[in-house]
Amino acid sequence: MLERIPSVIDVLVPQASTYAGDIDGLFTIILVSVGIWFFASEIVFFWLIFRFRKKDGVRAQYVSGEKQSEKKWVTYPHLAILLFDVLIVVAAVRVWYDIKQDLPPAERTVRVIGQQWAWTFVHPGPDGEIDTADDIAKVNELHVEVDRLHHYKLESKDVLHNFSVPVFRLKQDAIPGRVITGWFTPTKTGEWDVQCAEICGVGHGLMGARIHIETAEQHAAWMAQESPLQLAANAAQKQEEE
Amino acid sequence: MAAITKVWRTALVALGLVALAGAAAAQQSTPPGAELYELCAQCHGERGEGNQVVLAPAIAGLQEWYVVAQVRNFKGGLRGTHPADVAGLRMHPMALALETDEELKAVSAYVASLPPVYPEPTVEGGDAERGAQLYGTCVACHGPDGAGNEALGSPRLYQANDWYLLSSLQRYKNGVRASNPANANAQVMLGIAGTLADEQAMKDVVAYIMSLRK
Ligand code: HEC
Ligand code: HEC
Ligand SMILES: [Cu+2]
Repeated sequence: MLERIPSVIDVLVPQASTYAGDIDGLFTIILVSVGIWFFASEIVFFWLIFRFRKKDGVRAQYVSGEKQSEKKWVTYPHLAILLFDVLIVVAAVRVWYDIKQDLPPAERTVRVIGQQWAWTFVHPGPDGEIDTADDIAKVNELHVEVDRLHHYKLESKDVLHNFSVPVFRLKQDAIPGRVITGWFTPTKTGEWDVQCAEICGVGHGLMGARIHIETAEQHAAWMAQESPLQLAANAAQKQEEE
Repeated sequence: MAAITKVWRTALVALGLVALAGAAAAQQSTPPGAELYELCAQCHGERGEGNQVVLAPAIAGLQEWYVVAQVRNFKGGLRGTHPADVAGLRMHPMALALETDEELKAVSAYVASLPPVYPEPTVEGGDAERGAQLYGTCVACHGPDGAGNEALGSPRLYQANDWYLLSSLQRYKNGVRASNPANANAQVMLGIAGTLADEQAMKDVVAYIMSLRK
């Protein structure tokens, strides 16, 4: 529902996951509701300043803010803002549940390992399973197939890191000693940034990687080319030729 | 009142000019090696003495051509890009922080100019006598005195920490420090390290290399 709200963010950073629109929708809701109150309060503020400006023959009065007629200038907006807060919270909790608490079944699983200062991505090989002989481990290079629901298993080898994919609107802390599972479904092919979003030492700012979102054919071709079994076969063939 | 405003305005204009001049100067010249080295010092130490806690070896006084070559290797992804290379993956982004080749050369020259520190050996259980035998294979490239050979790309060995030499030999042998086939020099050491039968042999040869210090 939220993803139908138009967003200004995707002008700068495109949306490339099923839930990116929901996150941007939340930003828009917050921007609009806070914006309304910002302008409303500024208008009232300047109107009051103008209305009660210095006039000849009128003495300034001291307002203690105790009378009901005075207090309502604080109470009513306060209640209205609380109402808007409830709206924001309800919308946010729904999005949070979808992205972080609900875990739809995976079509693919990748292992994401953070360390000072690189990302290692372990992709399932042609057999589609991780932790098997044909896994493809790559440093700073993640390959995924568009429109497939991926689980990621996030680990850290040393300190806190944060797996952040701006086009997915995804951020997840990596915590040493824990394996954190989450999900994403890419919706747009292309090559985008992956970054670390948790200060992790001097190399933090240089801990960038790239995500390649590929069509099924591109992905299969990449897998065939990079699969360790294939690489071993290539090497053996080369040796025979020599 | 007016006077104060005038002082402020002059001060602001002056500040702006200074900032502009600073920015222009920064754009033109490469910072001196000593300044660039401040980043490196975080791991390799102020004197280039190394720090085992962060796996950073002593680099003070290494041959300049070797430092340039290795930092270029790190920068270009020829070294320090294997998923299991914890130490190399730490150094890789640091080389990327050197934006131009001029900066790379300047900091390398500074590293080479630091007096060698000869860190104390820490690896136990190596037998230098047996190591002397094994070192026979190394002489051709690293020289009988371990001084290295620029033409062959082989560095001086005895200035490094022994734990670093040991870990390098292990990582050459299992391919972690020789994972990129395009790194010809590392491929050479992949072959050589394969001839050292086990960890004991590596410790022995490292103990001998340490004894080459004068
Ligand atoms: C974050 C820590 C860190 C910083 C900062 C750092 N290094 Fe390193 N450096 C390392 C580690 C760890 C290694 C060991 C890599 C290995 O074992 O393969 C290394 C290795 C090296 C080597 C290879 C030494 C050899 O004998 O082959 C050189 C040269 C080097 N660093 C130079 C530099 C320079 C120049 C800078 C500053 C621009 C720098 N380092 C900054 C951690 C760091
Ligand atoms: C055929 C020439 C050759 C021979 C023989 C050789 N090396 Fe090397 N060695 C090299 C080259 C070239 C390098 C630089 C490799 C690189 O850039 O990674 C090197 C690097 C090393 C390093 C890494 C040093 C550093 O500062 O990172 C160690 C340790 C080493 N050699 C030990 C040995 C030992 C021990 C032997 C004998 C068993 C040996 N080498 C024999 C050519 C050789
Ligand atoms: Cu980080």
